[in-house]
Amino acid sequence: MSAVLLIAVPLLAAFISILNKKLAPVLLLLVSLFNIVSIFFYSLGTITIGGFEAPYGISLVLDNYSLIGLIVINIAFFLVLLISYEKVKKVATVLLVALAGLNGLLLTGDLFNLFVFIEVSGIAAYLISTTNKKYVATFNYLVIGTVGSSFYLLGLIILYAMVGTLNMSDMALRISSEGISAANLSLPFLFMFIGLGVEAKLLPFNSWVKGILGNSNKLVGPMIASVYAGTISLVFGRILTSVFVVSDRLGLILTVILLVGIVAGETMAFASTKLREILLYSSIAQASLVIILFLEGITGWAVMMVIANVISKLVLFAIASYTSDELKTDEVDNLKGIFSKNKIIGVAFTIASLSVSGLPLFMGFVVKMNVLTSIFDGEDYLLAAVILLTSIVEGVYFVRVLIKLWYNKEDAKTINYNFVIKYIVSVLAVLLIVFGTYTTVLNDQVETVNEVFEIGGNE
Amino acid sequence: MNFASIEMILMITLASGVLAYLIGKLNAKLGSIVTILVSMYVTIAVIYFGYNGELVITTEYLPLVTFKVTNIGLFFASTVTFVFAMVSFFNPFFIDKYKFKALYSMLYIFSLVGILGVFFTDNFMTLFVFFEFTVWSSMFLIPMGKSTKSTTLYFAMSTIGSFALLYAIFLMRSQSGSFDIDQGLAMVSGAKATWTYILLSVAAFAKLGAFPLHLWLPKVLGDAPDPVTAVFSGGLEKLGAFVAVMGLVRLAPVSFNIGAIDMDFARYVIAFIGSITIIIGTLMAIRQDDAKKLLAYSSMSNGGYIIVALTIGNGIAISGALYHVLAHAIASAAAFLAIAAVARKTNTTKMSELGGMIHNMPITYMVYLIAIISMAGIPPMGGFISKWMIFQAVINKGLPIIAIGVFFGSIGSFLYVFRPLAALFLGQQLPEYKHLKEAPFFMVLPMIILSGLIIYTGVLPNYILGKINEIVVDLGATAVTITEYTITGFNGTIHPALISGMFGVGVFVAFLIFITFKKSKKVTLMDTYTAGEFIYTEELLHYSVDFYAPLERLYEKYIHIMEKTYDSIRNKIAEVGHFFKYYFFTNKPEVSVFWIVIIVSLLLWGESLW
Repeated sequence: MSAVLLIAVPLLAAFISILNKKLAPVLLLLVSLFNIVSIFFYSLGTITIGGFEAPYGISLVLDNYSLIGLIVINIAFFLVLLISYEKVKKVATVLLVALAGLNGLLLTGDLFNLFVFIEVSGIAAYLISTTNKKYVATFNYLVIGTVGSSFYLLGLIILYAMVGTLNMSDMALRISSEGISAANLSLPFLFMFIGLGVEAKLLPFNSWVKGILGNSNKLVGPMIASVYAGTISLVFGRILTSVFVVSDRLGLILTVILLVGIVAGETMAFASTKLREILLYSSIAQASLVIILFLEGITGWAVMMVIANVISKLVLFAIASYTSDELKTDEVDNLKGIFSKNKIIGVAFTIASLSVSGLPLFMGFVVKMNVLTSIFDGEDYLLAAVILLTSIVEGVYFVRVLIKLWYNKEDAKTINYNFVIKYIVSVLAVLLIVFGTYTTVLNDQVETVNEVFEIGGNE
Repeated sequence: MNFASIEMILMITLASGVLAYLIGKLNAKLGSIVTILVSMYVTIAVIYFGYNGELVITTEYLPLVTFKVTNIGLFFASTVTFVFAMVSFFNPFFIDKYKFKALYSMLYIFSLVGILGVFFTDNFMTLFVFFEFTVWSSMFLIPMGKSTKSTTLYFAMSTIGSFALLYAIFLMRSQSGSFDIDQGLAMVSGAKATWTYILLSVAAFAKLGAFPLHLWLPKVLGDAPDPVTAVFSGGLEKLGAFVAVMGLVRLAPVSFNIGAIDMDFARYVIAFIGSITIIIGTLMAIRQDDAKKLLAYSSMSNGGYIIVALTIGNGIAISGALYHVLAHAIASAAAFLAIAAVARKTNTTKMSELGGMIHNMPITYMVYLIAIISMAGIPPMGGFISKWMIFQAVINKGLPIIAIGVFFGSIGSFLYVFRPLAALFLGQQLPEYKHLKEAPFFMVLPMIILSGLIIYTGVLPNYILGKINEIVVDLGATAVTITEYTITGFNGTIHPALISGMFGVGVFVAFLIFITFKKSKKVTLMDTYTAGEFIYTEELLHYSVDFYAPLERLYEKYIHIMEKTYDSIRNKIAEVGHFFKYYFFTNKPEVSVFWIVIIVSLLLWGESLW
């Protein structure tokens, strides 16, 4: 079997699903499950499509980096489907396309192909977001997303004119062999950075996030904030580590922009009073942080941070969106005490948010500590200080939310969470604890990821 | 399985935390009884194995965690676990008041686990993990009390401390190449040493509740459940003292020496802040009406004593500081427990709402009396010994400005510690509390044990001082000269047992006078003379209201300065957030496009940069 099936099967199923609307959601679940199972049977390597050897044909790269990404994203995708099954019915075909697009993003070894998948998954995301029934927000998303991908395309065209190839590894080779300076690469790189930045929620390209995630239902919330965000971060990681060499000065400028993004994200979350808004601003900060780590070359732990974010954002957004679907409000003050009646949900939410704020016993802590160790090894004291200071702000607003959601003076509102979401969030919460205490797994995975990019790991 | 191994004790404790939760789910009271058993077990194991030198530090099951038994770690661990054990006796009596009963028992035990890990490790990373673990497990205990408001404040201040500690840890690692505590502290130098010093001080200040990071202490101690208050003041706060020893004593001097007093400038600054802490704590304690808040501010000022003594850093000063850690831990635990015993019956800790509790709870009264005598530094209690040593050190070093703070705090403490005594226990009995009885035996027992220990530390301090001398030698200072009954300071020798004997004689004479002379006449609270008018606001006539009004008037304008500062910091952060929201997150896509274009054109314009 070839990894191309991960893309081809969902696409084929998408076409079939148009024929029978009733069968579509079932087909979606089956395909998603098939993807998860099949990942474990593929062998690592580069797959050339249609027998055209790289750099002439399109190639898919299945290495340990994309493998980890595929496993995490496909499982997360499946779990989101389970949580929001009744919403899924209307957009099953779109979700199949989205699945194909996301897998494509992770697998592709070709920059133009990447653009195609950005468009495919992007259009799917616009359509998924229509289930929020906030059409203006979706329209904004559409406009900004399109502007973003045009920038990506523009950058790519310039790059092609300079280097004459679209294949990632070939491009990296030619860049070094033809001695193209990092300075000359700055312009196309910057355009592509902006293009991807729109999808990755980087400030200031991310104003769509508020409309989409701030009104998200239980499908859109976890799908965009966890699955899509994780995928785009990994794509970013691949481009930053294996294609481009960022010049010091450009790297500095980008780091500053991203640091502003972190500060902005955390302070905005601090200033917000709505649950989903707090979470979405917090995830803006997280996204910026991950990209900084990729820029700094802390690839292995950046990947782990992406995974930790995928897990915890899935839990947080699933619960937040589900709650606001039920209560039609997500003002934290109106939700006081809801967890005291839904302890399982509450504990999962608590664990996920403590993990995001980096408290021990949870996965976020292990990742944060190792990231900080690497940053200090690089003697980047200012970056470390900013990360720590913003973490204080982050912890404060999370604790504030937690206390409000657990304690109440009057009677709390009752919500019936169905058993699916209860099971899923508690399994994920347990997973956060497992990775937070049994750290050998993480260290091994970091080693494997770093080997892919031949980075001397942190031994 | 080796039961004397720290790893084993830690894992058993952790497991029984989960067990306490499960049992607590079935029966809340049983769950809280588990907390007693576990904390007793930990205390006995630590003290017995520890002082027999039998604690095993090898690890079999916990990877990456390394342990080490040091004299100072053992001293802190036995003090704090002992406080935990004593306080745990109160848990079953209070468990019904909490919203999440089973969780309370679990988190109580988890905080104990964190404490153990911090004190018994030689590795900074392990220390930090357990430090943070303590923070979050104790954090969730707070909102179960009166109010949930102070929880976030506690988390914020604690995290400032933790992250300062973390940053310092990484700075030391960058020079020593490992997370080893001894190496890290020894090898850090230059500018990094200065930063490490500052950051460690911040961490210690945040945990001890010293100025300017003190704000959480009165709020948390006022709001938290009553037993938790005792644990915070007697136990968790002492984590700060532990960090302070690392930063203030074990780190080599980091700035220039002030010739006149032969003291490092940086240390002098910290000592100065320590004495400000004493003064602010004292002044604020004087104005409190809530007995718990009063004691909280007194904890703050006692933290100041520890800081001042540690900065001086000679043998007497360090012993004084460490002895003060012990003396204050048991005295404040006893005082808070006594208040808790009253509050359990009356549901209030406001002094103006209480009175005459001595008639209902004579033993609790005695416990409180002994505790505050110790806190005020009067013989024959433990607090006297430690304060005497600290005074000796300050005077000998020739630090007049610092000494003003130190003496002011000591005199000020007379003003405030006796107020709860007078308002709460003495005076007329309120009619609504007439039927109340003494606390049950299992609440009285730990209080009596603590009182006994307070007296023991005051009368015969020499055994414990001997142990502290070992720590002092470890820290590189000269041991204090002690014989079986005497302690020699810089300007003389004291004889605590003799002082206590004289004190005893005095008490005996007073007692003789008391029983031979005429008994006082009992009047009710309503006997107040009001010139024939009907009293509408009789609580304002309670004599504890505005007790020190003339003194308070001198500084009442300034008491909210710190609170306002932190409020404005919070508002500033939120303002920055609103700013970003306003400029970047509009509902208009053209604004985003505008920003993209701006960034691109700016970068293109600066193309020549690269």
